[in-house]
This record gives sequence, structure tokens and C-alpha cells, in this order.
Amino acid sequence: MNQFIGSRALPDLVYHRPGTMDDLLGLVKGIEGEYRVVAGCTDFIPAIRGGKWRFADGINVVDIRGVKALSGIREEKGEIVMGAATRLSDILVSPVIREKAPVLADAVSQMASPQVRNTATVGGNLCMASPAADTAPPLLVLDAKVAWRTADGEETTPLNKFFLGPGATVLPPRSVLTEIRFPAPGPDEAARRTRMGQRTAFVCSIISVAVWLRGGPEKIEAARIAMGAVAPTPILITAAESVLIGKKPNEATLAEAAKTAASNIAPIDDLRATADYRKSLAETLTRRLLAACVGDLA
Amino acid sequence: MKHDPKASHCQCGGKMSRRGFITALGVGAAGVAATGAMTARTATAKETPMIPSGEMARIDLTVNDRAHTLLVEPRWTLLHVLRESLGMTGTKAGCERGECGACTVLIDDIPRYACLTLAMEVQGRRIVTLEGLMEGEKLGPVQEAFLEEDAFQCGYCTPGQIVAAEGLLRADPNPSSETITRAMSGNLCRCGTYPHIHNAIQSAAGKRR
Ligand SMILES: Cc1cc2nc3c(=O)[nH]c(=O)nc-3n(C[C@H](O)[C@H](O)[C@H](O)COP(=O)(O)OP(=O)(O)OC[C@H]3O[C@@H](n4cnc5c(N)ncnc54)[C@H](O)[C@@H]3O)c2cc1C
Ligand code: FES
Ligand code: FES
Repeated sequence: MNQFIGSRALPDLVYHRPGTMDDLLGLVKGIEGEYRVVAGCTDFIPAIRGGKWRFADGINVVDIRGVKALSGIREEKGEIVMGAATRLSDILVSPVIREKAPVLADAVSQMASPQVRNTATVGGNLCMASPAADTAPPLLVLDAKVAWRTADGEETTPLNKFFLGPGATVLPPRSVLTEIRFPAPGPDEAARRTRMGQRTAFVCSIISVAVWLRGGPEKIEAARIAMGAVAPTPILITAAESVLIGKKPNEATLAEAAKTAASNIAPIDDLRATADYRKSLAETLTRRLLAACVGDLA
Repeated sequence: MKHDPKASHCQCGGKMSRRGFITALGVGAAGVAATGAMTARTATAKETPMIPSGEMARIDLTVNDRAHTLLVEPRWTLLHVLRESLGMTGTKAGCERGECGACTVLIDDIPRYACLTLAMEVQGRRIVTLEGLMEGEKLGPVQEAFLEEDAFQCGYCTPGQIVAAEGLLRADPNPSSETITRAMSGNLCRCGTYPHIHNAIQSAAGKRR
């Protein structure tokens, strides 16, 4: 029966589809036994099929896609707010994102495949806490915050403090990630990202890098550099910021910042690439992205 | 929604047998009672549509313009339901974890993987599979173009390729070459027929006009 083509490999599951936020939170609060809050299921189903997750005693699946309030993108008081269950494909076509945060649309455009993007959500990507989560580096440099709710209240934390390790976040039990928000970037800001994979589409990143600068051709006022797949979690590399802030963005400054960033990561050897290769990519890609941002600011 | 004894019978040829006690699911409606043995239980089942595991739930699906009422186990994927319950084997099972594209179907005109979609999730939605692209006994324009351009070898990936292409052309009747490449990036072909697939889609775009 294990060979059976179809869903036999999925465990016994109880499917819940609450239609309102209150129903969702009440359900999650009272649920007994194993449960997972799911959105697109594009990580959930493969994790079961691949044997990473096993639920021998069955599993409650709480599908949040019925809760309208959890998806959509809006601009509100100088901030861009995305519902956690916003699909990746909706980010790609969002006029707000394309205008104000093209760096995020750029990252999403290279994730997975069109069919996965039509299903997967940004909240799912962050909650899965993969070191290679591709929405994380751009959101980190955009200074994003994430909000979650339980039946008893709401909390917000900077995305920088959200990830604890591979697959682990600060989300407390019985909570649901609700929102991702970041300040709408102004005209004196620029952000860029890139990634390396074995192919351009349909692969996990070997490394992904995002950078953000505020300032002008004479002086950098603020800077952020973030990377994915180079540490146990996606990371913001603050060590390189001081190399840039207050300086004129010339070639030497950018090169030094890139070098500092690369020396502050802890990549591993895995089947996709060696640690050395990742370090060398980290430096090169950061330098190029910084130069591109400086060009955008000019 | 009231318990409806009629709900326990599949109206699609009676291939499925009744298993356990059936409760009907209302679309977005509250008040489904939990019954039967489950290891996982919920305390607030009264407020939320909830389908107990190990039991069959009733769902309505429109597949290729035909309305079906089906009994499904909550753990069945759409891929499973199409192939095993409806006997529509045009949709292929490849990797069953979102990595190949063989199971591509359109859900409300949007291409998605049937292997990553629980059947329960698409309750009430409009599904199009390869079979739905036929015009009676005639091939549809994308199918015809694949034939003419020799866009397959073994053919295993082909249904998924054709449905992904159909989804693209419904959204963008005049795709650029770059758009075609991107839109088809979620469909792998072990036989490497990519250039022919690309030509077929360009030719299909012309046929559909
Ligand atoms: C073929 C393939 C290619 C992929 N390529 C990429 C890639 O290039 N880059 C990349 O980053 N990822 C990739 N992924 C991974 C995956 O598609 C993304 O991580 C996706 O964004 C997950 O979102 P989801 O809604 O499907 O999550 P789900 O599978 O529904 O959930 C994932 C996890 O998050 C939890 N969760 C989801 N939403 C919430 C919430 N609101 N509150 C609390 N917990 C929640 C779930 O409990 C679960 O543990 C790929 C996956 C596949 C199958
Ligand atoms: S079978 Fe669904 S993507 Fe491979
Ligand atoms: S034709 Fe054989 S896999 Fe594509």
C-alpha cells in the first residue's frame, strides 16, 4: 500500500476550514492532538511525502485560506501590509509591490514555479523557516515586521528576530501569523536582490542576497544586507552596515562592505554547493548589488 | 446545514462505497457535527466546518464543465480524486510533491499542481483537466499544436505541459517567447522536448486567435 499512487501516503487527516478570524483562533486554541495551520500546503504536503514529517496518529489540518482578512496587500500610513496568506502570485502582480518594493517581486518571480506560486503563500514561506526561504532576504532589508495572533492577543516582532533555526520560529504554540508589514521605501532608498541556483527556475537557492541603501552619491546614510542559505536561518548581516554608513559609496567602500558581509556568515557544505563557494559568492554578489543600488540612488 | 441522507451517495456512477457515517459539508456554513473515531479531535467543531478523518466527506466539483458530487477522504489530493474517483487519467502522477508538473490542472483558470491540492480545498471550484480541452472528439488547439510540432517523445509530461500552456494562453493570448519560457518553467520533460513545446505554444497561440 505504500507504493499506492495518490494520497494514501498522506496520514489520516481532519480538515478544518474556518471562515473568520475568530473561528480560526478559537479552533486553534481548543484543538486537541497534533495540528498544523496550513496555507498553500506546498511545504506541508512535500514534507509528509518525503518523510520529514510523520503524523502516525493523524493530524488536524487548519486551512486558513477561507479567512479573507488574511490575504491581500495594502498601503496604510506609510507602511505596506501583506496578509500572511497572500499568495506569491498575488505579490508578483500587486501594483503596490511593483511600484514600492520591486525587490520583493523580483525575489518572488524566481521562486519555485508558476504553479507553486499560484498556491504558496508568503506567510507559509516565513513560517517554514527554511534557511533558503527566498522572501526573507528582501523582507529583512526592507525592515519588515511580522504579526501573529492567538485567541488571547496579538504580537509583533521584527522579522530579524523571528527565525530561531531551520524550521523554528518564535511563533508561540496556537498562534497564527497574520501580517507582514514594512515601511514604504522613499525616493532616497534603493534595494536589490539576487540569487544563485543550479538553474534559474524551480530550484532551491544556493545563496540569496539582498541589499538596501538610503542616501545619495555623496553619502550612504543607512544600509542593510541580508542573505539566505548561508546560516541556520535567513540573516541580516549588521556587521557590514558600519562599513558603509556615513561613507561616500566608492568602489573601495563597497568592496570592503562586501568582504565584511562575507566574513560574517557561516555557510555549510551541502549537496548544492560548498561553504567556500557560498562565501565567495556572498562577497561578489553583495559587491555587485551594492554598486547597483548606488547606481539607483544617483 | 442539516444532515442530508442523500449526501451519502455519490452521484457520479456509484463507484465509491459509503464508508462510516457521513456528514455533509456546507460551503462556508457552520455546524457540522463531528462523529466517529479520530485520534485528532477539536473542541470547537460546532463553529467550524470540520471533516472527520477516516470518513468520507461530500464535495461538489465542476470538472470540465460537468458538475460532480463526490465522496472523498479528507486526505485525498485532487490528483487522487481525478484519477481514482473520476477515472480521468489524463492528469498524470509524477513526483507527487510539486517538483515535476505532470499533474498540472486549471483551478478557476489558474494552473496549479493537483498533487499539492487537497480535494477538500477546491470544494465548489471549477477544474479543467486535459480531457476538458477536447472539443467533442476533436483535439483542442493546444493539443493539435503539440501534435503538429512533435512536442513530445514518451508523452508522460505532455498532459501537464498542455494544461500549463492552456492556462498561459487563457491569461495571455499573445505571450512573448520570454513569457512562454517563464510560464512553462514548472513543467519538466525528461525527454527534453522543450524547444518543440515552445514552438507548439507559439503555434497554438495563433490557432486560438
Ligand atoms: C517544487 C517546489 C519548489 C519550491 N521552491 C522554492 C523556492 O524557490 N524558494 C522558496 O523560498 N521556497 C520554495 N519552495 C517552498 C514553498 O513553496 C514555500 O516555502 C511556500 O511559500 C510555502 O507556503 P505555503 O503557503 O504553501 O505553506 P504551507 O505548506 O501551507 O505551510 C508551511 C509551514 O508554515 C506553517 N504556516 C503556514 N502559514 C502559517 C500561518 N499563517 N501561521 C502559522 N503557521 C503557518 C505551516 O504550519 C507549515 O509548517 C518550493 C516548494 C516546492 C514544492
Ligand atoms: S506530480 Fe504533481 S508536480 Fe509532480
Ligand atoms: S515527453 Fe517524455 S517526459 Fe516529456
